Amino acid sequence: MDRRHLLKNSLALGGVMGLGGCAATPGAAPGAAPQPVSTVPLMDRPPVLAPVRARADRFFDFKVCLRPFRTKGPNLDVEQIGDAMVVHNYGHGGSGWSLSWGSADMAVQKAMSRSPKEIAVIGCGIIGLTSAITAQRAGAQVTIYTRELLPRTRSVRANGAWTPDSRIALTSEAPANFGQTWEIMARSSWKTLRQYIGIAGNPVAFSDHYYLTDAPRGTPQPVDATVMPLPPPTWAGAPTHGEDFARYNDRIRDITSFPQQLTPDINPFPVKYASRSTNLFFNFTEYGHLLTNQFFAAGGKIVMRNFHSPSELGHLPQKVVINCPGMAARDWWKDKAMVPVRGQTGWLIPQPEVNYGLTYRNVQILSKSDGIMVIALENGELKGYNNSDESVNRAESDRAVKVIEDLFARFSVKQA
Amino acid sequence: MMRKIILGVGFLLAAQGAQARSVWDGAYTEDQAARGATSYQQNCGRCHGANLSGTFEIPPLVGRFVPYWSGTTLDVLVEYISQAMPLGRPGSLSPAVNADITAFILKSNGFPAGTKELGTSASDQKAITFDSMPPKKRAKAR
Repeated sequence: MDRRHLLKNSLALGGVMGLGGCAATPGAAPGAAPQPVSTVPLMDRPPVLAPVRARADRFFDFKVCLRPFRTKGPNLDVEQIGDAMVVHNYGHGGSGWSLSWGSADMAVQKAMSRSPKEIAVIGCGIIGLTSAITAQRAGAQVTIYTRELLPRTRSVRANGAWTPDSRIALTSEAPANFGQTWEIMARSSWKTLRQYIGIAGNPVAFSDHYYLTDAPRGTPQPVDATVMPLPPPTWAGAPTHGEDFARYNDRIRDITSFPQQLTPDINPFPVKYASRSTNLFFNFTEYGHLLTNQFFAAGGKIVMRNFHSPSELGHLPQKVVINCPGMAARDWWKDKAMVPVRGQTGWLIPQPEVNYGLTYRNVQILSKSDGIMVIALENGELKGYNNSDESVNRAESDRAVKVIEDLFARFSVKQA
Repeated sequence: MMRKIILGVGFLLAAQGAQARSVWDGAYTEDQAARGATSYQQNCGRCHGANLSGTFEIPPLVGRFVPYWSGTTLDVLVEYISQAMPLGRPGSLSPAVNADITAFILKSNGFPAGTKELGTSASDQKAITFDSMPPKKRAKAR
C-alpha cells in the first residue's frame, strides 16, 4: 500500500513537473527570484505526505487504559503458593507491548526450571499471551486462565507505539540492577518483534514520526492556556517531575533511529521546527489475531475464570504458573507498588494513505491500520498518575484533535 | 495431634453449618437492596452502567458475573468490593454501604430476598455460600 501510494504521488509529481516544464512557470510573477534548490540529499527528504483528515466528527472510538505501573519496576519474582510455583510477570507500565517478549523469556526460563509438562498462565493481555506462546515454544502445554480475552483487556487500550521505557519504574524505587535487566528484556523483545515485521497485515511495522515545534526543541514551548495544571501529589514519594521516572532508552541507541533535524527547505509542515525519526509500532488488530491464532495452533487452551484469592492458584492442575494479571495485581495480589496511570486515546477513521505519525503541541497522532490514534500528552509522564477513572473524557480528545486540525488547515503539500 | 483432630472436626462442622445457608435462602432484605440500588447508582453505575451490564471494557455485574464469583462464600465478594471498588477511590465506601450494594447485585442476578439483612461482619458473610444454582437444580445436576 505504501509503495503504491509513493508511486502514485511520484507519478502525480512527475505530471505536475512535466506540465510546469511546458508552461512558462504558471503562477510565478515575472521577474520573481527562483526558489532556492535544496542541497539535502534526496534520501533524506521527506516523501510527499498525505494530510490527516483531523476532525472531531471522524472519531469512531475512544479507549481509556490504566497502565499497570509498578513503582519498583515489573515484578518478576518467583513464589510458592501451595504446591504451585508462581512466576510473576506484571507491572510493565507503559512498556508492556514493547517489552513483552523479553519479559516472557525471563519468566519462562524460570518456569521451565521445574521441567513442567504443563504451564498455567494467568491473564490474556499482551504479557499473558506472549508468555503463553513463549512457554509453548519451550515445549510446555499451556492453559491460559483469564477473565477477559485480548480484545477486551486493558492491553488493547494502549496507544501501540514501541515505548520500552515509558513509565517502567520510579528512579528512586527501581532495583539497582534494573537497568541491566531492562536492557536484556528490551533487546530480546526487539529480536522477537523483528520476526513479525514484513508479514501480511503488518502486525508490527515501522513508520516515520515527525516532532513539530514552534520554538526550537529543548527550549520552552508556548503554553496552552486551556490545559489544566496537575493537582499536587497526594502522598509522600509520589513523582512530581518527569525525571522521577527511570529512563533507559540510551542503552539501546545502537538499534533505534536517532531524530534527524529537517531543514526549513525540506520541512513539509507549516511549523518552524521539525525533526523526524523512524519508530516501531503495533497494529493491534492484526497482531492480536496473529498471536491468538499462534497460541491455538500450538494446542493452547483458554479457560474463562476469575480468581478470588492467590491461594486458588495452588489448586490448579498445573503446578507451574506464570502470573500476568496486569493492573489487577493491585487488588488481587494486594501489590501496593502498583499505581494506575490513566491514558486516553481517540481513534479517527483509518486513512491507509497516511503512513506516518507526528507530535505537535503536546498531541501525538499515529496512523495505524485500525485507525489514526490521537493522544493528548500535556503534563508528560505525570499525566494520569494514580488516576483510575476508566470513563471517556470526550473533551480531552476533542481538544487534542483540534490541535491537529489547525495544523492541517495550514498544511499545503510541499514537494520533496 | 489430638488438637489437630479437634480443629479438623470443628472445621467440618463449621463447613456443614455454612452449607446450610446459601444465597438461595434469602441473604438480604428488599429494603436493603433498595438502599443498595441508590448507593450503586451513586458510586458504581457510572462505569458498570445503570442496569449493571457494563460496557465493552468494563465488566458486567450480571450474567457471567455469577460463574466468576460463585463457588465460594459471600465474604470473598464483599471483601473484593470493599477493597478494590470504586476503582478510582478504592476502599472509600463504608461496610454498611458495601453490604447494601452486594444485596442489590444479588437481587439483580435473581437471588431471592429474605427476612434478614446481609450483615457487615466477615464471619456472617462467610456463613453464606454463593452457589450459582438453586438447591433443587443443584441436586439434579449431581
